[in-house]
Amino acid sequence: MNNYTESKIYTVSKLNKYIKKIFENDYNLQDIWILGEISNFKLHSSGHMYFVLKDKESQIRCVMFRGNSYTLRFTPVDGMKVKVRGDVSVYEKRGEYQLYVKEIVEAGKGELYLAFEKLKAKLKDEGLFSEEIKKKLPLIPQNIAIITSSTGAAIRDIITISLRRFPNLSILVIPSLVQGISAAQEIAKKIDFLNKHFKDLDFVIIGRGGGSLEELWAFNEEILARSIYESKIPIVSAVGHETDFTISDFVSDLRAPTPSAAAEMTIPDKNNLINNLGLLKSKITRAAKRNFELKTENINSLCRNLKYQGPENKINQYYQYIDEFIARLNSRIKYQVELYEERVKKDTQRLDSLSPWAVIERGYSICRKIDGKEIIKKLEQIEVDTKIEIIISDGKIFSKVEKKEAVSK
Amino acid sequence: MKSKKKIEDIPFEEYLRKLENIVQRLEEGELTLDESVKTYEEGMNISKICLEKLNKTKKKIEQLVIEGEEKYSTKPFSEKKGENAINEF
Repeated sequence: MNNYTESKIYTVSKLNKYIKKIFENDYNLQDIWILGEISNFKLHSSGHMYFVLKDKESQIRCVMFRGNSYTLRFTPVDGMKVKVRGDVSVYEKRGEYQLYVKEIVEAGKGELYLAFEKLKAKLKDEGLFSEEIKKKLPLIPQNIAIITSSTGAAIRDIITISLRRFPNLSILVIPSLVQGISAAQEIAKKIDFLNKHFKDLDFVIIGRGGGSLEELWAFNEEILARSIYESKIPIVSAVGHETDFTISDFVSDLRAPTPSAAAEMTIPDKNNLINNLGLLKSKITRAAKRNFELKTENINSLCRNLKYQGPENKINQYYQYIDEFIARLNSRIKYQVELYEERVKKDTQRLDSLSPWAVIERGYSICRKIDGKEIIKKLEQIEVDTKIEIIISDGKIFSKVEKKEAVSK
Repeated sequence: MKSKKKIEDIPFEEYLRKLENIVQRLEEGELTLDESVKTYEEGMNISKICLEKLNKTKKKIEQLVIEGEEKYSTKPFSEKKGENAINEF
């Protein structure tokens, strides 16, 4: 039954080791340059780089270890056309041959990349990316739709995050191919369908999780770009990772860096909104209350003012005025009286100096008839023997006229 | 400015703007007593409308089944991979 000799039976590892040796001994496979396009590029946290190098018909797995990759002056990206230097060898663990890369040199841009740039420029010229035509998303979406694969992590992420942020949301899922040759057309058709039958949708998220440039390519196709542009319902584009930019991103009304981010960006946090409303409400109450207090204070101050301006105060003021007036009057009168008193005093003094007594003091005397007390000024008033009295400063002299004699002046 | 639009047709953000405007007007304190009573009541009413708007929609996750150019139906959405994360809500 057993036709093989013991020496012809190999273990898998022995076989792989043998094949590896063949590769490594073939100088046509060592330290060679290969031209191709980078795809499925992954930079591992260890610093090692893994990617696929390919042309139109074929591809080869490549690894570039950290010891070599740190000398790179650029980060390789999918679609980049490169020249790669390295050794072809076998990864024994998997029995796969691969290229152990030592050096990468850019060799012009990849064709997909060029196609992307060309379409991007064309649509931009046509105005499909212009900011003015971008539709605004409502703050509170009620009905949203998601066009994506029904099996990927993307749909789960979007739904989970959306419902966490806003628990009562109506979500319509439209399962679709998101990669492959007919994906772009299918997504485009579904956008058109929603525009026809679901006009009330607040917006549609289209997208998928991360992948190679080829896997994301549907979102770089013109037919999808046109459909997004024509859509009356706002479109949110959520394709791949943060670093992936697609034509859909540019033409859509909102670009989300990832599907999860699409949910974060478009669905508001309901708790936040409710808190904000509460805050506004208490602000209104506080402001209204303050207004009432202000008005009350106004009224109080007006009342105080009124009292101040009121008749009572006026009357008091007049009282004071009158008092002052009387005081002024009094002092005026007093002054006047003093003035008169002064005058009377002066007049009295003058009168005194004119009094006959003052003359008598100086030696003059008054001569009167005793009978009738008639003052004698002329001789003719008296006869001899008339009894007379002579008044002098300190008394009277009684005498009798003995003789009359006229004096010529 | 009084529009005859129905409450449902006015978006939430417009009510929110109105509410913020009311706060501002009240805080400026230049309203008459009548006006501030009216404004306060309007604010309370709008905040009620806002809350109603937030709670209006019912949670619903459906999957669209397109059956032709004009024909379609919906069914409850469930992930093909059978993970229950969505149904926890």
